[in-house]
Amino acid sequence: MRGRQREQHREQQRQQGSALPAAVGALCRALPPRARPAPDTLRRARFDRPQASLDFWKLLYVLLKQIHGGRWTESDAIGAQVSFVKRALWYRGYGRPQLRRLPADGSAGSRELLLAFSWLLHRPGLLEQLLARNRVQTGDEASVCTCEDDLPKSQEGPGEAGPEDRVDVRYLQWLNGRLRLQWCSLHAQHQEQCKLLHKIHLFTSGSHMDQNLGHFSVTEADLIRHPESYKQLVQLLDSETKQLEAFLEWKQLEPVYWQWMETVLDDMAEEGSMCESQDAHVEKRRLPEVTSCCPWAAKLAGQMDRLSRDLLALQEQLHQLVAQRRAAWWEKVATREELQEERFSATARKAQESIGLKLRGVTSLCAPQKNRMHGVCRLVLRNNQPASKMPLGQCVSKEAAAAVSAAEVIRELQVREASLQRELQQLQQQCRHRLDGIAEGLEGVICVSP
Amino acid sequence: MLMLPAGRGRRAAAALRAALGESAERRRELERRAARSRALLGRWDDEEEERPQPQAGSSTEHEDRPSPKELEELKLLNRALEKALKIRKSILKTPLEAQGARGQKWAGEAHAPKKAEEQQVPVPAEDVPECRKVRAGGKKPLLLKKPSPYQLRAPYRTDPDVKKLQRKVPARCVSQAPRTAGKISSKGVTSKQGRSHRTATGASAREVCAAAEPQETPSLSESAPNEQQSFSGGDSAAGKNSTVACKQLLDAGKKSCGFLGESSKKEDTAGAWGRSTSPGTGTLQEKGCQLKLPLPYRKAYSRNSRAWERCRLCQTSADAAAARTHFMERIQTTFWYPKLTPSPAEIEEELRGLQDVPSHLRQYMEAEPAEPPTLQREYESLLTLEGLQSTVSQCLQKLQLLREALESQLRLCPDCPGDVGSCSPACVPARGQTCDSADMLAMPLLCYSSLQELRDLFALKLQVSMLHQEIALQKGTLMESQSNSDLEETQLLALHRQPKNPILCLAALPKHSWISGSL
Repeated sequence: MRGRQREQHREQQRQQGSALPAAVGALCRALPPRARPAPDTLRRARFDRPQASLDFWKLLYVLLKQIHGGRWTESDAIGAQVSFVKRALWYRGYGRPQLRRLPADGSAGSRELLLAFSWLLHRPGLLEQLLARNRVQTGDEASVCTCEDDLPKSQEGPGEAGPEDRVDVRYLQWLNGRLRLQWCSLHAQHQEQCKLLHKIHLFTSGSHMDQNLGHFSVTEADLIRHPESYKQLVQLLDSETKQLEAFLEWKQLEPVYWQWMETVLDDMAEEGSMCESQDAHVEKRRLPEVTSCCPWAAKLAGQMDRLSRDLLALQEQLHQLVAQRRAAWWEKVATREELQEERFSATARKAQESIGLKLRGVTSLCAPQKNRMHGVCRLVLRNNQPASKMPLGQCVSKEAAAAVSAAEVIRELQVREASLQRELQQLQQQCRHRLDGIAEGLEGVICVSP
Repeated sequence: MLMLPAGRGRRAAAALRAALGESAERRRELERRAARSRALLGRWDDEEEERPQPQAGSSTEHEDRPSPKELEELKLLNRALEKALKIRKSILKTPLEAQGARGQKWAGEAHAPKKAEEQQVPVPAEDVPECRKVRAGGKKPLLLKKPSPYQLRAPYRTDPDVKKLQRKVPARCVSQAPRTAGKISSKGVTSKQGRSHRTATGASAREVCAAAEPQETPSLSESAPNEQQSFSGGDSAAGKNSTVACKQLLDAGKKSCGFLGESSKKEDTAGAWGRSTSPGTGTLQEKGCQLKLPLPYRKAYSRNSRAWERCRLCQTSADAAAARTHFMERIQTTFWYPKLTPSPAEIEEELRGLQDVPSHLRQYMEAEPAEPPTLQREYESLLTLEGLQSTVSQCLQKLQLLREALESQLRLCPDCPGDVGSCSPACVPARGQTCDSADMLAMPLLCYSSLQELRDLFALKLQVSMLHQEIALQKGTLMESQSNSDLEETQLLALHRQPKNPILCLAALPKHSWISGSL
């Protein structure tokens, strides 16, 4: 039975045989230049050739690093690559046990990796994400997300330590002071840059051939002034165009690829039926607590704790407030005649409707915002009359660009700032309490507080 | 003397240094971009590739230690202070009001260049009554709030080498905006007043800075009064960290003085640069509308944008979608726990979405009037509050679910030897699991409509960044300090005290003859 199925599959494959190399080729060309595999690698991986394993690990490593915004070098060790890939796949929700069991030296498992790669194509939309992330920037970039800027890992190497073993606290305070100075000057610099940008945008309004943009960016203006120094930019644009065309080709030939992957699964199903995933349960680790796993988990747990503290505090406050108001209200209802009339029930219903609308806005806050922008955007000066800017020639019927208005981003940032301020205050409060505790313990201490 | 145990201090120092390095990097990058923009706004026929290089101010920033020059200046300053303290001994007690008045006068006269000695004298004179007050106060917490905007703390010294000088962030630094080149004041204002102030100050500071040049230069050239000036200047930036050891304030003051001197020179150039190309002379302004991009670029660009557009509009064919779904379902069945959702990525994303909810809800809550005018309003108010309440409990439930999900996911976390680095993306595009390719491939634009909006945007972004960094540093400090009571830890914690209510712990240790007979 199974043999005949296999034959049928092979027949199907032969028929689409010509399409498959094209599909695989397009797929490879749609990947970013630095992470482009040879189509042969995929083909070898299909048959689980060990030679392809190292290449495939590297491929996944580079691709995942790119989506994660991390840095990588050519010389990263294979062990590190393997760990990272396993971890990143777990992070995305990929749960094949066989992948987990692959050896750390990267010597085997190309077929498993092929499966993982195909999974990644769809699940986080690998190709699209890579394209979006690596988009050639011709404009003035500004990032719109409020994601946490990670502090660079402070290198604890022995070379970093000063000549003395102990650190003078005044040195720390000096560093702190300097840090604050830096922020001030950064602020001033940013403000100046804003002015300059605005001027350039204003002065070049109407010159850009792309009507969506309307004006030049600094890069483009500079390009006009020094055309020779931007040859590379043109080349980058061209190679990106080729990549996009490969992407379109891939989209055409996609079905073939997925069917091919199904054959891989078929093969594995056959082989795998011998050895069941008996150790599925053994793999489960017993974690004493969430935070011992890794710093990421600790960070998340910390966020959750803080969030629940905030929410509980809010709940407490609301509880009191509501109880108060309710008591007052029912008192009024008891005493006043008009509230018990029919007339009021109409107004009550209206009130409920309007409040219902308002609250719907509130509850939508709690849903993850699908449209939240991340990453870098191109800054565009746009006076708020889109109608007047409608060009005669190029007609942009629907909004071709995902435009975010600065006002929105400002609002979001304000909210973010408020919550961060609160967090900082809480932390400082904690510090203060500690200080108070310590001060009480110290002998002969004079605490001077304004 | 004031040393921290090796481990703790070093970590904090390393974190601070890393933060400094990062911000220095940012500054360099910004400066580069700004230089390019400035060049564009200038005359294009000037083949001036030489950009006004940032002065020595930036180079000294790389250093992790005060430069020898600064240390020299510090020594000079210390000597001057010693002299001042000697003088102080011979001054009798003066009334507090006079001190207050002098404080005002001191603030008012701050601009005028003075001799070093003259300026040193009022300082200690004002301090005397304070010192006495403190000593008399004993262990009681003392309110040193004064009506005058300029507040000065008494310098206490433990021994001749170490000067202790406490100063609160002078509120007058708001008015001092032009003098401190806008930077310090903007920072000072930030912590005290609203954001709008800051952006306004920062914005106006640049103009005023350029205008205040003639005032600044002569006073900057005189070192002695400058030291006094920048005390408060640099102090307002570093003042938050004043603790027992005042030397760091002197350090910071010196550093800021040196830095200010250099950077305001830089900004002079920059200001001059900007001014010479102000409207009227800038050729970009003249011909900006008529400029055209070179042909090769235009071709490449339009090909590129057409390709992007095609990709954006390209839909997955039905066959492909079906085949893909089939594959994905099949592979899902081979997972450990096929039904295990959400994935860690999704958990993180949901959590990120929830982070700002308390702030939003709090805004709503506070928007409800305490005394609603009409009955209907009161009813509506009640409904709103009840609605908020139920939202909060929903959020709490969701949080609980996320917590459980995280725990079960963590049980499957691969055991990674060594430092894998962070496996969670720094910035995850917020898509569900079904990627919306159209959105992802559209050109992201950020549209602003006015200069003020742009400025606000950048100011806010910077503020958020800074808050992130402060929080991280604060957390580091908290984690490091244990609950034993020692002076060093006190100082470490006091590093990050609240800017609004600074707490000063002044320890009278037996070995230091502090609040000595000199008072």
